Formats: sequence, C-alpha cells, structure tokens
Amino acid sequence: MKISVRVLSLTMLVGLFFIPASAQAQTGYSSYSELTNKLKALNNANKNITELTSVAKTKGGKDVWLLTIGSGDVKNHPGIAVIGGSKASHILGTELSLRFAEQLLSTANTEETKALLASTTFYVFPQINPDAATQYFNKLKYERDGNMTSTDADRDGFYDEDGFDDLNGDNFITMMRVADKTGSWTMHKDDPRVMVKADADNGEKGAYKIFSEGRDNDQDGKFNEDGEGGVNINQNFSYDFPYFKSGSSENPVSENETRGVLDFLFEEARNTFAVISFGPENNLSDPLKFNRGDASKRVVSGWLSDDITVNKMVSDLYNDITNLGKAPSGDPQQGDLFQWAYYHYGRFSFSTPGWWTPEVKDEDGKAQKFDNDHVKHLAWAQAEGLDVFAEWTEVDHPDFPNQKVEVGGIKPFTMMTPPANILDSLAESHTDFIMEIASMKPTVELVNFKSESAGKNLTRITVDVYNSGSFPTASQLGQRNNWVRRVMTQIKLGNNMSLISGDIQDFDRSIPADGSVTKTWLIRGSGKVTITSGSPMTGFSTKEQTIK
Amino acid sequence: MKKFRYTLLTAFVFGLMIMTSNTAKAQLTDGVFPAAGTPSNPKVEATWNHYYNYQGISELTERIAKAYPDLAKRTSIGKSYEGKDIWMLTVSNFKNGNPDRKPAIYIDGNIHSNEIQGTEMSLYTAWYLTESFGDVKFITELLNDKTFYIVPTINPDAREHYMTEPNTGSSPRSGLKPIDDDGDGLVDEDQPDDLDGNGSITQMRRKNPRGNFRAHPTYPNMMVRVPDDEFGDYEYLGSEGIDNDNDGRINEDRVGYYDPNRDWGWNWQPNHIQGGAHKYPFSLPETRAVMDFVMERPNIAAAQSYHNSGGMILRGPGVAEDISTYNRQDVQVYDAIGEMGERLIPGYRYLVVYDDLYDVFGGELDWFYGVRGVFTYSNELWTSYEMFQSNDRSATDSYEFNKYLLFGDAMQEWTEYDHPQYGKIEIGGFKKNFGRAHPGFLLEQGAHRNMAFTIYHAYHTPKLTIDEISEKNLGGGIREVTAVVTNSRLMPTHASIDVNNNIMPPDIISIEGATVEAGMIVTNRDLNQTTEQKFRPERIEVANIPGMSSVTVRWIISGGNNYTVKVDSQKGGVVSKKK
Repeated sequence: MKISVRVLSLTMLVGLFFIPASAQAQTGYSSYSELTNKLKALNNANKNITELTSVAKTKGGKDVWLLTIGSGDVKNHPGIAVIGGSKASHILGTELSLRFAEQLLSTANTEETKALLASTTFYVFPQINPDAATQYFNKLKYERDGNMTSTDADRDGFYDEDGFDDLNGDNFITMMRVADKTGSWTMHKDDPRVMVKADADNGEKGAYKIFSEGRDNDQDGKFNEDGEGGVNINQNFSYDFPYFKSGSSENPVSENETRGVLDFLFEEARNTFAVISFGPENNLSDPLKFNRGDASKRVVSGWLSDDITVNKMVSDLYNDITNLGKAPSGDPQQGDLFQWAYYHYGRFSFSTPGWWTPEVKDEDGKAQKFDNDHVKHLAWAQAEGLDVFAEWTEVDHPDFPNQKVEVGGIKPFTMMTPPANILDSLAESHTDFIMEIASMKPTVELVNFKSESAGKNLTRITVDVYNSGSFPTASQLGQRNNWVRRVMTQIKLGNNMSLISGDIQDFDRSIPADGSVTKTWLIRGSGKVTITSGSPMTGFSTKEQTIK
Repeated sequence: MKKFRYTLLTAFVFGLMIMTSNTAKAQLTDGVFPAAGTPSNPKVEATWNHYYNYQGISELTERIAKAYPDLAKRTSIGKSYEGKDIWMLTVSNFKNGNPDRKPAIYIDGNIHSNEIQGTEMSLYTAWYLTESFGDVKFITELLNDKTFYIVPTINPDAREHYMTEPNTGSSPRSGLKPIDDDGDGLVDEDQPDDLDGNGSITQMRRKNPRGNFRAHPTYPNMMVRVPDDEFGDYEYLGSEGIDNDNDGRINEDRVGYYDPNRDWGWNWQPNHIQGGAHKYPFSLPETRAVMDFVMERPNIAAAQSYHNSGGMILRGPGVAEDISTYNRQDVQVYDAIGEMGERLIPGYRYLVVYDDLYDVFGGELDWFYGVRGVFTYSNELWTSYEMFQSNDRSATDSYEFNKYLLFGDAMQEWTEYDHPQYGKIEIGGFKKNFGRAHPGFLLEQGAHRNMAFTIYHAYHTPKLTIDEISEKNLGGGIREVTAVVTNSRLMPTHASIDVNNNIMPPDIISIEGATVEAGMIVTNRDLNQTTEQKFRPERIEVANIPGMSSVTVRWIISGGNNYTVKVDSQKGGVVSKKK
C-alpha cells in the first residue's frame, strides 16, 4: 500500500483532533491475543472437561484454536462444532463462539451441565482466519477476509501490488465517488448519502462513478484489486470452489487454516452431527427451500427433502429463541464453510450472521419500510445515536486530475458488527439456541429387550434400536457419505453359545428422530449376551443379559 | 629410403590398429553390435524385462544422476504416507540454460499402485535420454531446449505392497493409509489372504452340481459361465480370503482404500458422488507433493501420467460437466498429438475419458489442464492386442498366450484347499503379474514406444524464436522498432483455459537498451492495425503465442542503438536477440 506524503500529513493533522479511546475496552470484541488469553483461562479453569489445541499455524504465525468441551469418551458422544470467523471480517462470529464457551463453562459445576457434557461434545473454533481478523483491531480498518498468503488477486503476475489507500486519513477504508457524466451511480432519493445505481430503464441518469477508497497503484485501470494477502478461508472449502476468483486460492483447501480444521473434523471429530457457524450465510432465521432439480443432480446442489424438514424445525427454534426478526439475504457463497459442512461433510449445517440491522420504528411503533439496506442501517444508527458513516469529503486524487472526487460511506464492519452493549444478550440467546440443539441430539437407546425360549436350548432375542433424539442419526445426504458413520449393532456371545440366526454385525444408514429398528437373533446355549448399538454421532448403548 | 618407408608403413598399420581398436571400443564391446535406436554402450547398465521395486528405483535413479551430473539430477519431491522419498529425476542439458525456465514435460507413473509399468516407462525415458544425449542429434537438441521432470512412482508405499504382499493384478490400487472401509471402527482388518502361499491373490471356486460355471474344454484353467438354462460344475466364491474378523463377510476391509486419482483439485467431488475420493483435494501426501511441485514449476507445459491397462491415450474431460472447459483450439492440439500416439503405439487408441471410458471427478489429468493449463495425457499401458498383435481378439487369448508364449508361467493351476468358511474349495487363476502388467519380453518395446510418444508430446511444447527485429526512422528523432516472435511448435504458450482465466501471467516481450516512447501489439501489420499498451510500454504483455504462429509487437523509441529484444514466457521459456 502506498500512502502519499500528503495523505500522511493529513492523517497526523486529523490525529490532533481525533484521539481514539482504547479500542479494546470500547469495542468489547476480543483481539487475537485476548481471545488466546481467554481460551487459555477457560482451559485452565476447566481442565477435566476442556482441551485447548491448535489445529493449524497460520502464515502470520497465529494459532487456529480449538476448544473441545466434554467429559468421558468425548469422541463417541454426539458432537456439535461451533465455528466462527470463516469469513474473517465477521468478527461477531468469533465473539459469539467464544462467549458460548464461556457461558457454557460458567455453569460447569451444575448437575445439568455435567450431565450434558458427559453425553455431548462441543468443538469450538472461535476464529479460523485469525490473520485477517486482526484488521478490525488495527488502526487502519477495512473489512479484510484474506489471510497472510500472498496472492496475485488480479492474476497479472504481480503480488499484492494494489491495495487500499486511506485518502482522507480517517483510518477507515470507505468508498470514492467521482463526479462523471458517464458514471451510472446517483444518490438515493431518501438518503442522499447513499449511492445507488441510476434506474436507466426509467429514464434516470447517473452522475457518479464509484470505487473503493484508494489509488490505482499499478496503473492498470482497476482500483485496489490486489491488496495485502490473501486467501479468504470462507472461499477455500471444497464445495463449489470458486476457481480463479479474487480471494480464492489456486487450489481448494490450500490453506493451513482450512486443512487444519478439515483434518480435525474428518479424522478426529467423527462424532459431529451438526456444524453451527457464524457468518454471512443464513439458514437459521430463514430456512432453505426445497428445490427438486438441485437436490436430484448428480453433483447434489440442493438440500434433500428430509434435511429441509430438519432445517425448518431448527429455524423455528432459532427465531423463537433469538427473536432477531427478518434478516437480509444470507445466500451461500462459493467455497464457503456452511455449504461444505452439508454437501461434503454430510452433517447438518446451520449458519447465521448472528445480528443484522434491527427494525426502525416510526412514531406509532411500527416498523418502517426501506428499499435499501444501507438507508435502513443509517436510519437505525441515527435513532440509536451511533456514528457509522464517514461523511463525503472532497480529496485531490491524482488518478482523476480534473474531476471532483469525494471519499465517504458506511464505515467498515458496522453493518455486521453490533454495538458492544448488546453482545451479552446476543451471546446469551445464541448460547441458549446451541444448548437447545444439544438437547435434541440423536441418541441411540436399546429398548424393549425381549428374550424368549424358541425350542430346546434355543433363545430368540429381540431389541429395538431407538433414536430418542429430535435429529435423525444421519442427515439424508449424510447417509450416502462414507465419512458419516452408520448405526452399527453388534452382538457378542459367551463361550459355549452360538448364533443360529441373525447378524453378528449389522448397519443402519439412519434411524429417524423418534424412530426405531428391530433386531432379532436366535441363539443356542446359555451364558452372557452383550448387544452394543450406536455410532460416534449418536453415542453407543449397551445391553447385557444372561440367558439361562 | 626403404627403411623409412617400412617405418612409415609400420606407423600406419600400428595407427590403423589403434584406430580400429578405438572404433571397436565405441561400437562393439563384449560381443555386441548396436541395434538402431538403442544406446549400445550405456554408462548405466539397465535391463527392461523386469520390474523395479523401491530399492531398484532408488538405485537406478541415483546411478543415472551420478553418471550424468550435467544431464540428470535426482531430488525428492516429498514423502509418501509411510515416509518413503518420492524420487524425481530432472533431465535436461543443465549446461544450456536453467532447466526450470525451459518448456517442460512432467511424467509420472504408478499413481495406482498395482499399475506398475508406468514406473518402467518413466525410468526407461530418463535412461534413454541421458544415454542418447550427444549421440543422437534429435535427443541432444531436445535436452538443450526442454526439461523432463520424471517421477517414476508417486505411490511408492503401495507399489512395494503390490510386489511383496499377496495381491491380485488389480490391488491395492489405493495407497497404504489405513481406512475403515466397512464402518465398524476397525481399519484394514479383513484383507484378502494368500491361502495357497504363492504371493498372488487368485480366485476361489467350489465344486457344485448346481453351479453356473464349468471348465473350458481346451483351456481347463479357464472358467466359463454356462447358458442360463443349464447347471455347471462349479461356483465362484470370489477372491482368495477368509473372514478374518468374524463379522460374516469376507475381504470387506482391504488395504487402503481410496483412489489417489480421485484426489485432485479440479471438479473434485466427495465419495458419495465420486467413489474413491478421500477427504478433500490433495488430502493424500503423495498427490499433495506432486501438486506442490507442479505449482512451483510454471514452465511445465505438458504432462503424462502412466496407468494401465487397455491401450489408451486418454485426455480429459473426466466428466461431461467439464466439456466446456476444453475448447476447440486446445482440442485440436490434443488431437494432433494423440493421433500421432495411435501411430507410434500400435493397438492404442486416443480417447476422451468421460466419453469413451468412465466418469472421473477429481482426476490428475483434469487438474493439470484445468488448474494449470497443461496439455496432459494418461496412457493406459498394455493391451491384449499386444499378445497376438491383432484386433481380432477372443476371451481365450490370455490362456493361449500363457500356454504358448509364457509356457504357463502366468497361471496358478487350480489346487484344493480346506477353507474355514467354505469347506473344500479350489484356488487358482492368473497371478498378479499377468493381465495388467507387460510380460517381460514386451516390456522394453512398450517402454520405448510410449517414451517416443511422450517425446513427441514434449517436443511440441512451445518453442519461441525472435524471427525479426526491424527498424524504421519516423523522423523527428523517433524510430519504429518491430519485432516478430514465432512459436514453431503445436502447443500455445497459454492453453485457452489459461487465456480465459489468466492462469499464467502473459508472455512479456520487452526491449532493453532503448528509450521507449510507446509500445503496441501489431494485430495486422499490412494494414497497420495496432493495440497500444499505455502502461509499461517497454514490456509488452501478450496474452498468448499460439502454436505454429507469430505475434508482432512494435515500439516507438527515441534513443538507443544496441537494444535487445527479450521474450519471457512461463511455458515458452526465455529467448533474447540483439538488434
């Protein structure tokens, strides 16, 4: 990034009037070092039920932390992965994940939590792209999603040669508008601070060109198209990988961060039945809709119908608990974590931004209607007395020598980062939601055990393998995926006993919520019979019986 | 005078003797006379009628590199799952330019561990090139211009397993990372068992008057299915093995299992869409090592990945979903080289994977082309055509070939065995080294022909020359310099997928030693149509130099007389010419 001398001196001048308070104390959001310290403190205080591990080292030398919470045979209890910061600029996700762990562990001594943790495992990854997330805490703020891997984002053979420049010296990267007849942008009718595309179809004419704030450092006609770093981890997963796009790597799952998380989830956390992530994608306040065409393709690109039903159930629950109202569109992104967790990991995947611009009430207490998210956000901020806008100010721009150039716009992060004073309540409702999901986990129980004489020295044993949870033992798509374990039922017989009929080992792809399958065996001889059933995702249940 | 003459004659005869013995040494050693096309007096002794195990590969690659330090260098591109070095030979004339800046071909073998002869094809290529350099003009020029990156095996763990442990001709195929195939929480716990102890996993059959097979009348080792309305004498029980883990199934959790050729990061799909896929693209150490190496070598313009079998020269796409990735100009290049391959290797057909074979998501050749824009083939080595060199083939050919040309060596005759689950059975069938692998006496021929194809392939990586630098005085102190750069081979410097996605940086045609006022690409020299490059005019960016074509660039200069024009192309190499 090149900052001209003029801009530097401007920054110093502005500095005389603008004395930032301690960013840390004010924001309530945890920087990487605060996050690390808090996780270490949690782990130290709860050694018997937590384990803090680093699943990857970033190029920037930071750890991708994982806090595993649970007791006993944690790899064979149904698990929930809670993941924040796949899109690094969504720093709320890190805070909600961290605070979930904190709130859960603050009740670690209660009988209720002890019982929960003895049968459920939580894998909490609060920040899986720490290199990029740091930008929020830096003096110069912009929404950075790329890690420290140097990339040629515009594929011109040069690396990181055209980043942003803080032209107005306010430490925020916002936008530039350039007065130009040939531009297609104009001011919004309700709030002239907001720039929108002119409605050419209805005779409206544009008067501005819009760029992000900066110089065309490499003089290629594009602005800020190849800044410092990096790979966006939320574009680096294997589902629908965005080849050759800015922020993608050359290859899917190329980054230490991505590989560390995936290796752990595939190899170690086979018990995960749901992945709950925080980010721009949203299937919680608004569940996905079934699309038969997409769901029937060879390369499945729509949720299968049974899984849509589960999504609806979970979404209703989310809205009841969080009461956040209608969210702006939270469409999936190519190469994101959210879609990977469903399509490639075969688990239930739920994602939410966690917060969005709340409704703005008019004098009668009714929600005002807006046709533009930025206008709505500014109206809400005004009502709350929050400063989220950098007013348009004219700058001399060497790339536009004879044109009027103004810098301004909505300040970075403010659209997805709520004020610190509501973090507590947001974290509480999301913790409640995750706890509710935990209470619904698939759980295999062996019930209705029956043994009856079936003739001389012969016993028929029958048992129902029952799923007492509100989730099926595997998603409908997961039933096809070898990484999703089937429910295995095994019978072991004592010496001098033999199996006349029935399977020593039998598998069920999935048992529906509140559903069961019946197993039966014909056994000769007397002695101890041990039946075990389950999968890492449901936990295992064992029944022992002595046959006389 | 007489004496003098005599002395002269003696000297002449003596000299002739020395000459003769010198010549003889070069042409006829230890009782051999050179055959055309084969290094007759190789520095590195090597024979090509057997297969090299890991130790053999390690030794041979080391011997080649030691014998020819200016032509071959051995490095390890990474470690296998079990920690074996994955050896690579870089072959080029190191005294003529940096090998990493010359247009290059990458060659590997044995990705499927049982498909062993790709290793011998690769080793033969390295051996032949180094032994022929200096003797064969074409090869000398080839190694002056090009680089060969040769990785004889990219699955060394499981190659060794194939050779030393009981296997069929089709196993393990996977690498050796243990996988729980049947989902019972145990890994690789019920593999096939070599019940008869011959080193091969063959077949099990059982006498059964209600069976549906009987022995072939002429070749009794061959089992023939009876017509639907008849009973035979035997039933098939599958591959040799027992129920090791007492779960009621036989051989259900073998070594591995995943398919390393479903682990590549172009249109990769998970195991429920593409059987054999592992966790994610490049989740196996061997494929990751290759990917890491190739990403660092943008000079690789061509690639060959040897498989077996079937006698095919395959190109992508692997799946119909990728048809639009391969566009017409690139297909023309593929076709020209592939069709030459059909001529060079009789019995082999040039085919497209998804159309002529079966669907493959996440295969190696699609990754090379899709992500790197590298023209890539996979040869499926060995075809039953080679047994009797005829397209008139029959199911009995293998048995006949075994009987009359291998004298029975490929076959385990049916022998009785007492099986814990099946009772009295018989075990027999073809041994693992027959059916997919070349028989010894045909291996060298296969190696030479397939090498000849990859040499043709490598030869047609781009070759750039600066054909012309001309100057015109425009008056007023400025001159016009026009340079013409020609690519005299079939492959473009950028495949069309590369051009469309800017995979590689553009080719840079630059002028040094001149004061440049303006620069442009000349799109039509006769009509003076040009496209100006405003920024950095001294280094003109050219998106592509197509095969068998020229590009013309022009500068307006105001100073400099001894300037140099230089072309820097990732896949076309670096050439420069003084005015």
